[in-house]
Amino acid sequence: MIEIEHLTKRYDDTIVVDDVSLRVDEGTIAVVVGTSGAGKSTLLRMINRLVEPSAGRVLIDGEDTMTIPEDELRHRIGYVIQGYGLFPHRNVAENIATVPRLLGWDKRRIAARVEELLDLFQLDPADFARKFPHELSGGQQQRVGVARALAARPAVLLMDEPFGALDPVIRSKAQDDLIAIQRRLGTTIVLVTHDMNEAFQLGDRIAVMDRARLLQYATPAELLTRPAEDFVEQLVGTAERPFRLLSLMRVQQAVEQGDAEGEPVLVTDSLRDALSRLIWTGRDTLPVADASGARVGRVSVKGIMAHGRAVA
Amino acid sequence: MPSLRSALSLDRLGSVIAVLIGVALFAAPFVIYRANRIAAGDGRMLVDALPLPGVLAVMAAALGVALCAALVRAPLIRLAAASIGLCIIVPAVGWSAGFVTPDGNTFARVSPSLGFWLLALSFALLAADALTRLNLGPWARLAAIAIAAAAMALLLASGAWDDLSLLKEYASRQDTFWREARQHLWLAFGSMAAACLVGLPLGILAHRMRRLRTPVLQGLSIVQTIPSIALFGILIAPLGYLAAHVPLLAAMGVRGIGAAPAFIALLLYSLLPVVANTVTGLNQVPAAVTDAARGMGLSARQRLWQVELPLALPVILAGIRIVLVQNLGLATVAALIGGGGFGTFVFQGIGQTAIDLVLLGAIPTVALSFAAAVILDAIIDLTRRGSAA
Repeated sequence: MIEIEHLTKRYDDTIVVDDVSLRVDEGTIAVVVGTSGAGKSTLLRMINRLVEPSAGRVLIDGEDTMTIPEDELRHRIGYVIQGYGLFPHRNVAENIATVPRLLGWDKRRIAARVEELLDLFQLDPADFARKFPHELSGGQQQRVGVARALAARPAVLLMDEPFGALDPVIRSKAQDDLIAIQRRLGTTIVLVTHDMNEAFQLGDRIAVMDRARLLQYATPAELLTRPAEDFVEQLVGTAERPFRLLSLMRVQQAVEQGDAEGEPVLVTDSLRDALSRLIWTGRDTLPVADASGARVGRVSVKGIMAHGRAVA
Repeated sequence: MPSLRSALSLDRLGSVIAVLIGVALFAAPFVIYRANRIAAGDGRMLVDALPLPGVLAVMAAALGVALCAALVRAPLIRLAAASIGLCIIVPAVGWSAGFVTPDGNTFARVSPSLGFWLLALSFALLAADALTRLNLGPWARLAAIAIAAAAMALLLASGAWDDLSLLKEYASRQDTFWREARQHLWLAFGSMAAACLVGLPLGILAHRMRRLRTPVLQGLSIVQTIPSIALFGILIAPLGYLAAHVPLLAAMGVRGIGAAPAFIALLLYSLLPVVANTVTGLNQVPAAVTDAARGMGLSARQRLWQVELPLALPVILAGIRIVLVQNLGLATVAALIGGGGFGTFVFQGIGQTAIDLVLLGAIPTVALSFAAAVILDAIIDLTRRGSAA
């Protein structure tokens, strides 16, 4: 759990982060969004003290970060940046082993951990361990960057635009993989991005920043239905709102009694995907199936639309 | 018929080499004969310089290489031709020295002349061009220089060149030659090592402290513009003063003239390449890499030793290569202020108009600089681990 209390950063007369407080619960993903220059990265870098706060404090699992020596603190926090910063003179295995080696793990333990992580990120150890960063594709470099950050099993992972350098197709796959791995490991993640879609896809809670201030820190649905300021509403995108809201909900929530013609949608699909299928096939209703394939009811255009309104 | 034409087309560099070989064989003397070591010389054409089988062998080899150079494109064949050519003409010039010198005459001197030098130059050019086209890896280049050095050593040890004037000059100075060689190497390598000891920390400091960078680099650039003889001269006064007033320094052998000012001058010249390349090398370490290193909790010292210096190493080594090649050459000038080294023979030879004595100092200097450049280039390539080939 990360508690940020009245965190402020001033450079001479400019305030870069202005009295920000927020709490990230254990095992959740908090996404910080905002325009460039809003202070997102500075906020993130104050958590592992790459930037020293001017005022306020950060608690990790109740412990004030100022009481932990800088380097020791950073050994305990994973850190992934745009471009990843892989060490070009070290191969993949050596890159991943960076923090375990600093912590003085023995060789066998390090080797086992490297192999485990490569497997987790779907990189064949026999193939990739000895490769150098310049021999990897962008997506592979990104995975190695995250694997390196997770090597010493940090409870907290900080990510600054970690998908910024990927093309859209690979990016969406990488985002799905991150969620899967996060759910599995239970890591607490703070992620900075300027991409609203990414924020909605990844965030359990989203922090919106503008000009050094935290405007709103809330769940994606709240951000859509109850924006705190005009700027938040604008940033969320008024035209996108209903679709974003639908993409946050599962078919499960809109199942009706009865049956319908056509290829069934799954209970785990998002309402947005279901609506998209309805529009594309030109039907008013589609059957719904659960994971085993058994029919459990149907969804209708009208039923879905009711979920995409401002006030439920 | 374009295909036939391209098959018979002339190689441009090869044609030039072929013309050079023609000039060397038929229009230039192969060796020079002198009645004694400083008398005026008298050129001997190839046909007069060797017994008939020797003349034929050199002719055949040279014409064969010329044809190869002009017509054959495969680099391996060109390299082989050039190497065989060198293996024939180099011993031949030693044989010629024995042939031209009248029996029992110990004053007469025979030296290679324009014809031999042109042949050697054109064969070497062809070999160098072929080696470049083969695009050898660092280990292969190191092997090539080792083979060349071994061949030279074998030639000198075999005594095939003993009748040449150059080796007669060597024979009468055997002891001083090796003493000056040691002195030369000590001046060049010692000042390089000292420059690394001073320059690396200075470069790291200049990289860390932006305000220091410009004054340091500009100061060192100014030193670099002082001509070497002037710098030796400038150092004589303060070092002489120090030697006269600080007994400890005098006891250590520091004097206004001699090795001390030479060493210090070479050190000063060496600082700019070392410091500038250290700063450049550290600057080109990607910001994301240092940021990630900091973010993962590497301490400042760990970042320097594990990340920044390894990544800057090829650039720093390139600076050291410049220093070494430059110092091996500049150390020659040290002889002017009594600093010793191969320059001793060069300046003695100039004083006595004995050109072979000049060569006795100049050839090892050139060979050392060349070998140092090749070896360090190979090492630089080997340290580029992990960067795109």
